[in-house]
Amino acid sequence: MLQSLVGNATISRMSGLLEGVRVLDLTHSIAGPYCTRLMAGLGADVVKAERLPAGDPIRRLGPFASRPNVFRDYGADEPVEDSAWHLYLNAGKRSVGLGLKTEEGRQVALDLASKADILVENFAPGTMDRLGLGFADLRRSNPALVITSISNFGQTGPYRDWRAAEATLYAMGGLMNITGEPDQEPLKEGAPLAQLGAGQNAFAATMAALMLAEETGEGQEIDVSIAEYATNILENALMQYSYSGQEYTRVGNRGYGRAAWGIYPCQDGHVGIIAGPDHRWPEVARIMEREELADPKYGSRRGRQEFADEVDALMLPWLIEHDKVGIFKAGQESGLGFSFVATMKDILEMEQLVSRGYFVNIEHPAAGSLTYPGAPITCEPDAEAWVFRRAPLFAEHTGPVLTDWLGLDAGHANELAGKGVISLGEKGAEA
Amino acid sequence: MPSSNQQPLRNYRVLDLSRIWAGPYCTKLMADLGAEVIKMESLSVYDSHRGPVSPARGIASYPDSEPGEEPWNRNGWFNCLHMSKYGITLELTSDKGRQAFERLVSISDVLIENFRQGSLERLGYDYEALRKHRPDLIYVSMPAFGNTGPWKGYLGYGIGQEQLSGMAHLTGYPGDGPMKSGINHGDPITGSHAAGVLLAALRRRRRTGKGMYIDVSQQESAVAFMGPELLAYQMTGEEPERIGNRSRWYAPCNTYPCAAEDRWITIAATSDSEWRSLVSAMDAAPLADDVRFATAEARMAHQEELDAIIAGWTSDQDAFALAERLQAMGVPAGPVLRGPDLLDDKHYAQRGTFVNVDHPQVGPKQYPGIPWKMSRTPGEVRWPSPTLGQHNREILGGLLGLTGDEINALESDGVIGTKPTGSRII
Repeated sequence: MLQSLVGNATISRMSGLLEGVRVLDLTHSIAGPYCTRLMAGLGADVVKAERLPAGDPIRRLGPFASRPNVFRDYGADEPVEDSAWHLYLNAGKRSVGLGLKTEEGRQVALDLASKADILVENFAPGTMDRLGLGFADLRRSNPALVITSISNFGQTGPYRDWRAAEATLYAMGGLMNITGEPDQEPLKEGAPLAQLGAGQNAFAATMAALMLAEETGEGQEIDVSIAEYATNILENALMQYSYSGQEYTRVGNRGYGRAAWGIYPCQDGHVGIIAGPDHRWPEVARIMEREELADPKYGSRRGRQEFADEVDALMLPWLIEHDKVGIFKAGQESGLGFSFVATMKDILEMEQLVSRGYFVNIEHPAAGSLTYPGAPITCEPDAEAWVFRRAPLFAEHTGPVLTDWLGLDAGHANELAGKGVISLGEKGAEA
Repeated sequence: MPSSNQQPLRNYRVLDLSRIWAGPYCTKLMADLGAEVIKMESLSVYDSHRGPVSPARGIASYPDSEPGEEPWNRNGWFNCLHMSKYGITLELTSDKGRQAFERLVSISDVLIENFRQGSLERLGYDYEALRKHRPDLIYVSMPAFGNTGPWKGYLGYGIGQEQLSGMAHLTGYPGDGPMKSGINHGDPITGSHAAGVLLAALRRRRRTGKGMYIDVSQQESAVAFMGPELLAYQMTGEEPERIGNRSRWYAPCNTYPCAAEDRWITIAATSDSEWRSLVSAMDAAPLADDVRFATAEARMAHQEELDAIIAGWTSDQDAFALAERLQAMGVPAGPVLRGPDLLDDKHYAQRGTFVNVDHPQVGPKQYPGIPWKMSRTPGEVRWPSPTLGQHNREILGGLLGLTGDEINALESDGVIGTKPTGSRII
């Protein structure tokens, strides 16, 4: 069974913690797909319904395996298969080409929802209603369905219909204000952490709701806002203001405004110097071979804050003469939580990750063999938690899913394809 | 004890030995979903998020910057992460403490810890040992680098995980070095990730009766967020450039200055139609015909000029009014919100994003609430974060059935208590 689902992807013998769970995935872009990717990774049967004629727009965001220098495909009609973003975010799912804007397409979606345990969507709020896929419609034939909606600002409130890019979410979630240099513009993260994090939180909430639905036979709707995820992880940046009225400000690379708690340049890149508790400070001075650093005036957090420029100036010569991995290990071997700014190359070669067997090679018909981050968990004793499968081609599984989930025969599927309600993908078209 | 009868995790008990942020964010989400979370600390080494025993005055994470007599109970770092959890203390170095701990394990569904790798094992409490007390225990261990491999004993802070996962490498002003975030993203990423996996494991246990040992590497959880960039690197052979607030996919996208000190707005046009709306909002018809900006590709190629034009336009405007106006015209725009803005924001107020909680040693203050809305089981913040050892009697008496005399004896022996005893606490 599993073998037939995965084509020629590299698979493990395991079937995953969520084997047997059916997920109807109406998501696109980043936040929703990351939520359902976690489910697929844990072995759920995630059916990704993709719009006609070319599927999830994330497929057009590069780079692409076949066009490494292209970051966006501006076409609209032909599905693109080898986007780095699509390959990662949709790994392990099955793709169904489905036009939701036709009555028959809507009916197919309702039928699929009636067979699903979980439905995840991240359309703009109100879209599901407009498509005739409101919560009541979805739940009518399947009261146990858990419906998870991920959106920029949530399904209610004055900003419900506001549009957003990752930068907007980072800004309005409070994270941007506290990142960057004090005398420059506030900064977002390079990776879309707000969208990915909200998708991951949505996964946790959905798991809990699934457990309750299985107990009681009643599902529910979950409303996850990406901006709210950001506000939820502000920690002291919010609490400081709440408790004492003092605003948290940008401090550049000096954590909490003090020296030796942040990012510094070194010989071949950048390192993280983290002084740790005060009684460990002399160790830092010793590693850096600078007696002046052991001066008691730098011995406390407060001292390193007051004399931050002096501390930095004393550390820099040693840092510039040493390489990042060497500095990292010198600290760690002395019990200090030093780190280094890993490049993508560093990560793929990192001895810790390699020795844990973290990475997996997955073969994809359009993208070839690439190294993917693997299971971010190890489960014992059964070790059957995570499944490794490639991303689907557009509409690759339309026929099989209509058969598995709905019991439709090939004739019926061809009829729907002929009317333009579904796409059977390239394989289907050939057959 | 307050009840939470309808919550999804109402029947599950989590014994929470975790500290700082990554583990506590995981168990915060579990508590938000109704689990009975028992946070266990040691009087000699309590959760360092409670801050020092004798902190300097003037630190803003205490109410009105005043540490008070029991500063460990008044720290905002700690108090925002442990709401709706029970708090107990127990010394695992004493036999009686160990007995009580083992009995707690025997009635818990989940044990979670994020000590430095091997710490609990050295106390004799690895998975196999604890399974003797609770055969179907879900044991979640989340040290910085996981429980195996050459770096397993290394120390990791959230700030370090941002670097070792590559996040920091991608973040920064164009042409400048890597930049840390204002928080430590590694922690909540790991906590949220562990919560989802642990729930999947609990669900499986319900079907199979089998417990599980889950090794969560904080680093691997963070690297999982870098998947697309790692694939991109293999395709291009080039490290990603730091591009500040810009996008690789559309332009304009940036953070622009507004009127007033340190006021900023983010504006993006992710499509041609959003670009046309922006031009019309700017009342700058010539831009619409400018070949430099006519197509998405052209806008990407001329971002510098475009950003300068937009910054010139925003710099004397009010960030909030401008965002409202742009959104009304269909342009993704948002002010950069600061602490006071967040707590005053009409949208967050209407959604109850922040909750007012009255802590006995702090008074009523605003806290981040539950990060989702569930239609049937909305949940609520049930009580404020526990003071040190607050629920010792409730848990040891109510749950384990110890008598008042037995509990008093534990207290006089220093096995439990409500006052820190350690000198190691920073």
